Amino acid sequence: MRSPIRTRAARVLVALGLVLTAVLPVARLATASNHLILKTGTDQDLQVLNPFSSILVVDFEIFTLNYDLLLNFGQDLEPAPGFADSWSASDDGLTWTFHIRDGMKWSDGTPATSADALYTYQLVIDATAKSDASEDGYYLGAGYLEGYLTNAGIKSVSAPDASTLVVETEFANTLLLNAYVPILPRHIWESHTLDEIGSAEGSTPFLNEPPVVGTGPYQATEWQPGDHITFTRNPNYWGKQGAADQVVVQTFQAMDTAVQALKSGEIDYVRGIQPDQFTALQGDPNIQVVEGISNGFSEIAFNTYNRGPIEGGGASTTALQDPKFRDALAWAIDQQKLVDVTLGGFGEPGTTIVPPFHTRWHSPPDNPRSFDIAEANRRLDAAGYPRDASGNRLDKEGKVITLRVTWPDSEAEHATDAQFIKEWWSELGVGVDAFVTEEGKLLDDLLPPEGGGLANFDIELWGWVGDPDPTSLLNVLRGEEIGSFSDSFYDNPRYDELFLLQRAESDEATRFAQIKEMQNLTYDEAPYIILYYDAELHAYRTDRFGGWTNQPSDGGTPLFGYGSIGYTHLTDLSAVPAPTQEPGATAGPSAAPGGPDGGSTGSDSTPLILGIAALVVVIAGGLLVMRRRSATAASEEE
Amino acid sequence: MGGSFVARRLGQAAITIVAIILINFVLFRLMPGSPERVILRGTPNVTPERIEALRERWGLNDPVFPDQLVAYITSTLTGDLGYSFIARGQTVVDVLAQRIWPTILLFGLGEMVAIALGLALGAYSGWRRGGPIDYLGNSVSLILYSTPYFLLGMGFLLVFASSIKWLPTFGMLTAGRVYGSPFEFLADLGAHLVLPLATVSLGLVGQYAIVMRSSIIETLSEDYVNTARAMGLSEGRILRHHALPNALLPTVTLIAINLGYVIAGAITVEVVFNWPGLGTLTVQALTARDYPVLQGVFLLLSVAVVLANLVADLVYGVLDPRVRT
Amino acid sequence: MVGLAILTFFAILAAIPEVLVGPLQTAVTSIGPRLSPPIDGFPLGTDELGRDIVNLTVHGARISMTIGLLATVVTVAIGVLVGIVSGFVGGRIDAVLMRITDFFLVIPTFVLALILTPIIRDVVGSATTEVFGIRMTLIVIVVVIGITSWSSTARIIRSQTLSIKERAFVDRARVVGAGPGYIMRVHILPNVINLIVANAVLVFAGAVLTETTLSFVGLGDPFQPSWGQLLEAARSVGAPGLGAWWYFVPPGLGIILVVFAFTLFGSALDDLLNPRRGGRR
Repeated sequence: MRSPIRTRAARVLVALGLVLTAVLPVARLATASNHLILKTGTDQDLQVLNPFSSILVVDFEIFTLNYDLLLNFGQDLEPAPGFADSWSASDDGLTWTFHIRDGMKWSDGTPATSADALYTYQLVIDATAKSDASEDGYYLGAGYLEGYLTNAGIKSVSAPDASTLVVETEFANTLLLNAYVPILPRHIWESHTLDEIGSAEGSTPFLNEPPVVGTGPYQATEWQPGDHITFTRNPNYWGKQGAADQVVVQTFQAMDTAVQALKSGEIDYVRGIQPDQFTALQGDPNIQVVEGISNGFSEIAFNTYNRGPIEGGGASTTALQDPKFRDALAWAIDQQKLVDVTLGGFGEPGTTIVPPFHTRWHSPPDNPRSFDIAEANRRLDAAGYPRDASGNRLDKEGKVITLRVTWPDSEAEHATDAQFIKEWWSELGVGVDAFVTEEGKLLDDLLPPEGGGLANFDIELWGWVGDPDPTSLLNVLRGEEIGSFSDSFYDNPRYDELFLLQRAESDEATRFAQIKEMQNLTYDEAPYIILYYDAELHAYRTDRFGGWTNQPSDGGTPLFGYGSIGYTHLTDLSAVPAPTQEPGATAGPSAAPGGPDGGSTGSDSTPLILGIAALVVVIAGGLLVMRRRSATAASEEE
Repeated sequence: MGGSFVARRLGQAAITIVAIILINFVLFRLMPGSPERVILRGTPNVTPERIEALRERWGLNDPVFPDQLVAYITSTLTGDLGYSFIARGQTVVDVLAQRIWPTILLFGLGEMVAIALGLALGAYSGWRRGGPIDYLGNSVSLILYSTPYFLLGMGFLLVFASSIKWLPTFGMLTAGRVYGSPFEFLADLGAHLVLPLATVSLGLVGQYAIVMRSSIIETLSEDYVNTARAMGLSEGRILRHHALPNALLPTVTLIAINLGYVIAGAITVEVVFNWPGLGTLTVQALTARDYPVLQGVFLLLSVAVVLANLVADLVYGVLDPRVRT
Repeated sequence: MVGLAILTFFAILAAIPEVLVGPLQTAVTSIGPRLSPPIDGFPLGTDELGRDIVNLTVHGARISMTIGLLATVVTVAIGVLVGIVSGFVGGRIDAVLMRITDFFLVIPTFVLALILTPIIRDVVGSATTEVFGIRMTLIVIVVVIGITSWSSTARIIRSQTLSIKERAFVDRARVVGAGPGYIMRVHILPNVINLIVANAVLVFAGAVLTETTLSFVGLGDPFQPSWGQLLEAARSVGAPGLGAWWYFVPPGLGIILVVFAFTLFGSALDDLLNPRRGGRR
């Protein structure tokens, strides 16, 4: 019988193959050039390279690496040169003239001119016009970017010459300088229709796959959707170059893994770590933690819909429409406690809808509340909500008040908040029914008849994230937005009036007064009870890159802010090692400082092909073993 | 091999697949939030008119049966599985294609190692039945069987990656790394494979060991084996030439049946190790309630298991003539 | 036997958690320091809300095992029904039922469970009603596990039914004129009870594992944390990387021990009670 030896050989082959793949990390071949990679981690999903489909913070971060805005955000979020390097307004404030940087090139070498800016802004204008004209409404992608231009009252845009862009607005305002809209290369994008760019149903969406062409400091060159994106330095970048040759943004399924990877040096930066991890990392000499003040808030949103009863939906009690009722309930919320327990102390107790992050616009309420159950009870009595024999509060229709409190499954920390809310309000005689709702369904439930829904909820816990300008946050309580962004259906004509005024106001003192009044209105009438301004917890290694700069300097974070400044300010801390590496270097998972990696950019398909080849070898080996054994069995039966 | 045997098996497989598509269709209609709302997720300012237009476009106003059903079946069979929500703009098919190879790699290898190890362990256990190794092996197998894969994975991660830092803590390859040679690439891949592979293999090994062990025990007590022993054949030879082949048959079917059960563990192992395969995709899709992708994964995995069973049946038919009736 | 001992221990924990450790602590009622290792008064440390891990683990026992039990009841009920009817009635019905059973054996039921859970939760609505002290959100998991796991039970019961069907006393009953329902209930069922019990124990182990995995991917209920939910919470807070072993080791060990015990016990029962295996010690 010849089989045993062959069988053994096959077995050895398979085993060897497996062992080799496991043991080889030890042998690393020296390569010639230096290649510094900045690796950042997030728990958000990386599915978007077309800026118009942006929804998440990470989506915005990605397009600010690829592209410039017309005006970028500076160190402290002031308007700074971007695609344009200077700008001025006409006397009446209705016309803005931008000078497009001379000699600027796209990353593929094509000259970048005002025609590109014109093209980009015209896309938004066309989409808005189409939306106004149709009954359906029309939006580009996720519809988050148009607002930056429409809120600035954009009317028309023109490019009298290659270095000049002129923008006309309906009303005077400075919001145009904060337009978070990336300037796109016309020569790449114009071959696609508006529908394709906006991923409209029925068209083939334009995904903007790598290699991306932009004027920003880094362009996406490799994309594994849902896993990571690799950016490579733009050779034609007009500005200061950062130390990193490449940037990798990596998605993690859990913050636990991300922090372990940070500690082991496999990544350099993590956004959104948990409070306990933050505290634990403070002791690590190679890691710097940073607590960024949040530009946003988490809130209790009441269903204050008062345009009549909704068949098959609506709030469970009319008490929710009464500002006095809501105000009384707000006296029974201990924001500080929530910050301590839910956020682990990392955040600020909530007051008004303009977070303190906006140092120029935030103002504390004129009539502040405190956590006072007795006061809350007094106010409920005074507002006409008596208790019945069992101690439950009755509304004006004589019904026992039980409020449904829900939150999306994407915001798990609200489960903790809900427990406290339930406890506090039970002392007021107000019953609470707390449960989590699947996010998609909750979005559905929040829609009023004006938006095609039934507004079937009483209270929801959610949050908003803002922009450098507070307009977008103020917008959510506008009567105008009932049917789209408003989830509380607050309808106050004075508030809406103030919104339009502040938007167009260029005198800072006047604007401040207007926004202050808006904050007080909504604080007193409490369509929202702001719970807290949760801090952004980031951490990064200090032993590879230096020059970490917070944006804004006060209370900001180096990355995942409002632009690419954090990246371009980075310096290379490590000394450049000699080209040859010590033999038998121990297998570390990532670079020793400035570890040498390969030279040229690899293509994407080779690894796959090789992986498959390896797999085939192993399978073949395995089959060989099994086949041999069956063959011998068969021959034995003779 | 009888043509009717093959035909029958193929027919059954086909019916199963159609049934799966049917289930997907029912699920599509049941999704939380009406289908229109789900399709338009994330889009602000949706007017009732827009919803109506969407219903027209997607044929949601047509009678569910047979119009919508037929449309759904035909589009699925022609490879149109719809669009993903989280991967805005990409089709479900694209999304699945991106993630399938890492999973095949990890689980293909995992099964292989588990089979090799399991058969070896089981054989030894069965042969030296009742001995300390047997007892230990049994207990360990049982404990491994009782341990959720992710727990095992988390343990490995903590010990080998975080504490001792021998191996990377996440991913399939070092992102952004450029390889000077295929050797380097394989080394990187290998380093990332070790822990997840160990987890998967250990999770699976128990079942193969148990099957092998009982098969050995059964075989070793058969008459013809006693005869062979009497004739002077060594135990080792008996093991290799009789017990092993007999154990292989149930192993073949076990692999196929197992696939359905393995998937739960597969998903969680990928999540723990941040392995960019179908498992992490499933959980990401679940968290985002991306139903088209979830249904796509369900369809894909079902088809894979059906095909695997089909192949196993056919292979079984080749190996064991008694089956081919 | 070891298995039985472990089982009894956990059964006690599950049956009377409140007597042993008081009511389930919540964010509001917790009194411990945040994420603390074992110290005086907190033998297994605390979680990020300051809750006592002993308290959480004991209550987790009740929740995990009740869900397991309820899911087993549903699974076995469906499986036995299908198995007996299919085996006894035979013919067309048998063929159809077996096709369905094989279908469920083949498909990745876990993925189906993943998809079904949020869908059914939506249909069921508000989650404050409780069944056997388990919130509706988790009852949905019970139902989903039941719907997806019954097929192997059905197969086993069917085979047994087939062999019982041929026995003499069944024929006699038929001759006397007993209807099929009567025969199934009075003659067949009692003779498969042994098998059902042995099988149920193994199903229980599987159900606990499935619920754990479903919770791990985020389908658990933070208001009623099962062991799987505790593991998920530990991971999302970063406990493994922080070295907060006290957060995930107790629930992890609980799961391993319970499943181990049930599987051990179950295969022992199987040896004991399975008629076909008789005489093969």
